Amino acid sequence: MLFGSGMLVPTGQAWIPTSAGLIPQSAFARELSDEVRRQLKFFSPDEYLILQSAAERIVGPASAGAPSAAEIDVALRADAFLAGADPEIQEQFHLLLTVFNHPVFTFLFDFRFSAFVNMNDDEKDSYIEDWMTSPIAFRRTAFVGLKRLCMSMYYTDARSWPAIGYDGVFAQ
Amino acid sequence: MILRGSDITKPIRETADVCIIGSGCGGGPVAKILAEAGKRVIVVEAGSHVTPEEFVLTEESAFSNLYQQRAGQATEDQAVLVLQGKAVGGSTVINWTTSLRTPDFVLDAWQKRFGVQGISPKEIEPYFERVEKYLNIHAEPDERHNNLNRVILDGAKKLGYRAHANGRNVKDCNALGACGVGCPIGAKQTVDLTYIADAIKSGTTVFANCHADTIKASGKTKRVTGSVIDPVSHKAKFDFSIEAPVVVVAASAIHSPVLLLKSGVANSSGEVGKHLTFHLTTAVLGVFDRPMYPWKGIPQSAMCDEFLNKSGDGGGFWIESVPATAALAGLSMSGFGKRHRAMIRSYPNVAASIVLVKEIDSEGRVIVNSYGRPSISYKQGWKDLQYLKQGLKEAAKIHIAAGANEVYTLHTKETRLTSVEEIDKKLSAASYGTNEIAFYSAHPLGTCRMGEDPRASVVNSHGETHDVKGLFVIDGSITCTSLGVNPQVTLLALAEKHGEWLAENWKSVA
Repeated sequence: MLFGSGMLVPTGQAWIPTSAGLIPQSAFARELSDEVRRQLKFFSPDEYLILQSAAERIVGPASAGAPSAAEIDVALRADAFLAGADPEIQEQFHLLLTVFNHPVFTFLFDFRFSAFVNMNDDEKDSYIEDWMTSPIAFRRTAFVGLKRLCMSMYYTDARSWPAIGYDGVFAQ
Repeated sequence: MILRGSDITKPIRETADVCIIGSGCGGGPVAKILAEAGKRVIVVEAGSHVTPEEFVLTEESAFSNLYQQRAGQATEDQAVLVLQGKAVGGSTVINWTTSLRTPDFVLDAWQKRFGVQGISPKEIEPYFERVEKYLNIHAEPDERHNNLNRVILDGAKKLGYRAHANGRNVKDCNALGACGVGCPIGAKQTVDLTYIADAIKSGTTVFANCHADTIKASGKTKRVTGSVIDPVSHKAKFDFSIEAPVVVVAASAIHSPVLLLKSGVANSSGEVGKHLTFHLTTAVLGVFDRPMYPWKGIPQSAMCDEFLNKSGDGGGFWIESVPATAALAGLSMSGFGKRHRAMIRSYPNVAASIVLVKEIDSEGRVIVNSYGRPSISYKQGWKDLQYLKQGLKEAAKIHIAAGANEVYTLHTKETRLTSVEEIDKKLSAASYGTNEIAFYSAHPLGTCRMGEDPRASVVNSHGETHDVKGLFVIDGSITCTSLGVNPQVTLLALAEKHGEWLAENWKSVA
């Protein structure tokens, strides 16, 4: 929720090379448990891990009572949400995750030589910062889409509330 | 009666005197007036019917069940998140109750620039009065304002700006702070609990979870067709077809033009979908040294309208408070990661105010995408950008005057302001490009403009399309310009006026 259509590709235009979907993904998802795999309705195992990895850095690491994005199952919640989203949004999220992660694009956009998921935490933060502040509008747009997805999945879950002092609507 | 998608067990084949598409501020009053005039009225509503007892009172549930695209509707470039209700009762189910009359200078402009008849302040006054009485619209007494509204009233007073309590459509409101997720005690006088309920008493049938796809308008009888959506699986389960001599499109400024464009009707002017305005909105977050609890109490009960049409050009901005529930706060605060975590720890001490621009040179458009759904674009004009910058500065100054230690904007790159000097300097230098600052809109308007020139407008002064007799558009689409106030009273008054005209002129229309 809290993100919409037109994430990357405005209707009738192709801002991102459509060949992105043809580039094979890495095999980093091999380690994903069967239990998680069974629950996925929208993401491929690779996409799940890309989003989980991005969500950890976007939401911020667990600290002082605040659970991590993984503890809140942000990626699984996002998977369930996107499974029910409009097809144009689904299409664009598949594309976004491929472009965001794949070493071809990390190199083209940022002269980095590694897939996002293989970067260390500092590199990931710096890479996300580059998307957020990029002079290229669609990269900023993609960052906004990822941030909206991660933050809304995280902060709509009651487990995230105690650390920020929120007691829910109607709590009084 | 109201039939939900889950109650519908076979395809719908109905005839009626009038089929109304949408059950919000446009469709509700028209349904009530025509049903009470003895017409057989059928309302189709794409959203669900949810009663006060059924509201779950979490953002997660409300976004999923009561908002368009689960609160994810946005412009193509994601720059503006467009929040709209999707339920029986439309956006009134999830709005924050602010109820204000259309400013006279706006109505004057509609008459002078667009030739709209019967819309002078004096002529529309009785309709405002009727709406205000029916919905129990009144201002809150001083002691009922929550911390966020107090910031506006106190800060503006210190700066010598005009600020005051605004009208609210509530009865026996307990200040639960749940307006945006559905009022669980039915205190908010929403369209489903008022106009639609009265329309049903006079025989109206409402089909919820029914999404209209096309209107066929050959000859005197029109046919509305679409799909009955299963409210759980969100899949189409049956089709529906409703025939009527009169059809009223009231599906909002985003969805009404899509329906007309898909149907290929009422667009000889080429104006359908154009002239979208938003009341483009952004916010400031003031951090205080005491708890403000930005999600508690009455969300919006006061406003500062000092800067609306101040220079007489019809533009400007106004400032209101905004309830910051957890997810809204999480995604609105700047940046990401550790810094975001640090900032959101101050959340209980934050007060949020929104700046809403009354556009004069910005405009957007709604077209149909390849999936048959709305694709929204919006281009901000230079004059409106200047008002937006000024609005942010004034809102930040109001927070500082009210005692905030620091103020943040919604710029993607954190913008922290601690003094008036810093406010002017940093906000003049900041970037306002696509996705460099978060924008919102809860007031899409103007995509099927009203006017007397069929070359430059879609509907006439009564809401009837220039092209098709008996086909009306009565909702936020028909405003001629941006309003400068939260739109529900304007739209309800227009719907009362057009519905009344339709009832009185039924024979010549149907």
